[in-house]
Amino acid sequence: MKVRVQADKCQGHTICAMQAPEIFTLSDYDGHSEAIAGEVPAGLEARVSDAVRSCPEQAIIIIPDDEPDSDSPEES
Amino acid sequence: MERVISSGDAQPYWYDRHSPDYRDNVQEITRELQAKCPVAWSESYGGHWVVSGALEIFDVARRSEVLSNDHDALGERRGYQGVSIPANMDRLRGGFLEMDPPEQRHYRQVLNPYLSPAAVNRWVPFVREVTRAALDERIESGRIDFVDDLANIVPAVFTLAMMGLPLRDWAVYCEPAHASAYTHPESSDMARIVEQMRANQARLAAAITEIRENPRPGMINALVTATINGAVPGDEEIKGVLALIIGGGFDTTTALTAHSLEWLSEHRGQRARLIKERDSLLDGATEEFLRFYSPVSGGGRTFSSDCEIGGVRFREGERLWLSWSMANRDPRMFPEPDEINLSRKGIRHAGFGLGIHRCIGSNMARMAFKQMVSAIMDRMPDFACDKAGAVHYDTIGVINGMKQLPATFTPGPRVGAGLNETLRQLQKTCDEQRLAGPVTAGPVQQ
Repeated sequence: MKVRVQADKCQGHTICAMQAPEIFTLSDYDGHSEAIAGEVPAGLEARVSDAVRSCPEQAIIIIPDDEPDSDSPEES
Repeated sequence: MERVISSGDAQPYWYDRHSPDYRDNVQEITRELQAKCPVAWSESYGGHWVVSGALEIFDVARRSEVLSNDHDALGERRGYQGVSIPANMDRLRGGFLEMDPPEQRHYRQVLNPYLSPAAVNRWVPFVREVTRAALDERIESGRIDFVDDLANIVPAVFTLAMMGLPLRDWAVYCEPAHASAYTHPESSDMARIVEQMRANQARLAAAITEIRENPRPGMINALVTATINGAVPGDEEIKGVLALIIGGGFDTTTALTAHSLEWLSEHRGQRARLIKERDSLLDGATEEFLRFYSPVSGGGRTFSSDCEIGGVRFREGERLWLSWSMANRDPRMFPEPDEINLSRKGIRHAGFGLGIHRCIGSNMARMAFKQMVSAIMDRMPDFACDKAGAVHYDTIGVINGMKQLPATFTPGPRVGAGLNETLRQLQKTCDEQRLAGPVTAGPVQQ
């Protein structure tokens, strides 16, 4: 699986980086989060799912293996 | 189809957030509001909406295109009353928390490189040293008041250091910041506290002038050299921003720390577990304490246009209270919401707010809290809070905090200088190493 932080929704709560620091890096400037580009390494899926669930802004989306990494918005 | 309700036909729900009765019955009031009307109309304070449901607050709070934080203190725009309900007696605008974009965004862009996780991490040795000195003042006696002797001091000193203000002034700013949070907004005592705050505003005005003439690193320097929406902000506006930084930086972390220590004293097994598994538990436990105690109980808004959200029709000019504290106890989001679970998963809490006004000091708060709690677990692991001496705020409409939290513990040896000497040393370090600068240059303003 892959994971992406929607920049327009992230407000820098930083909870994702506490739960999966291998996956989410925080901007030095404002603490907004960015996810690694490639596949989530095996064994980290559960923590990534926790991060997705814990995000107060619900800004993180998981991209399943069989879907292209499109920029389709979550809400219309 | 769901029935659309508006303020005229909603069943009014009477509750007064600033009353002692609310404090004493908050769990029942929260449960009733969430079950009957997670978006309710209250007649108190001139009438306003109250959002108590976690799902509803998520839908409403982020709608900054129809919500305004503006506090039009001088009657120059639409007369909106900012984030306090009832409106703040003081006519000073509460910094960028009482502004809308783009000004609000520009201020945050100026201050972010002082408050980001990377910026805050640079201060760990500083905060550790202030904490060490505060505990050293009490460690030989076996007695401490966690509010007066620790949790009031560390956030205050830390905040002043980041602003570029003299560390020794912490107590002058701390007293009114603390008192204004627990005094009922309509009480006669409030006038006296507002007077003290005015005196501090004059002190801040002098600091603005001084730093403008003789720049020294810190958030004040960033503000006096900032361009906000194409203009240089005036002193009155900067004073409001500084008041916001002090109001946000002082009493909130104090409240979180005091309540958490009280709970740890009452739950010895959980405390032993936290001490033993600190590395894996402390981050999550901090979020759980933030959820459970929600130091900042909520925030006011004003609808800036007519709109309908989740089957409720709102009209332009209507006031709204976003209750972070109630949303954080919503059983639909948090199973067993009134229990603290140190290893709770999925803590999607709103303790720092939601949307574009997310507490800009959240990283400071977490770091200072973790340093204080860690130092107590290291040096006073058997502390026992004195139930009879613990004093909670009479009203929790603004901050859910504590006035006093005395405790006893097995005495230990001092390991360094006392607080005043330590603050003198730290002031030298701040000045010589220019600690209070930004961590990175920000992006171009947009």
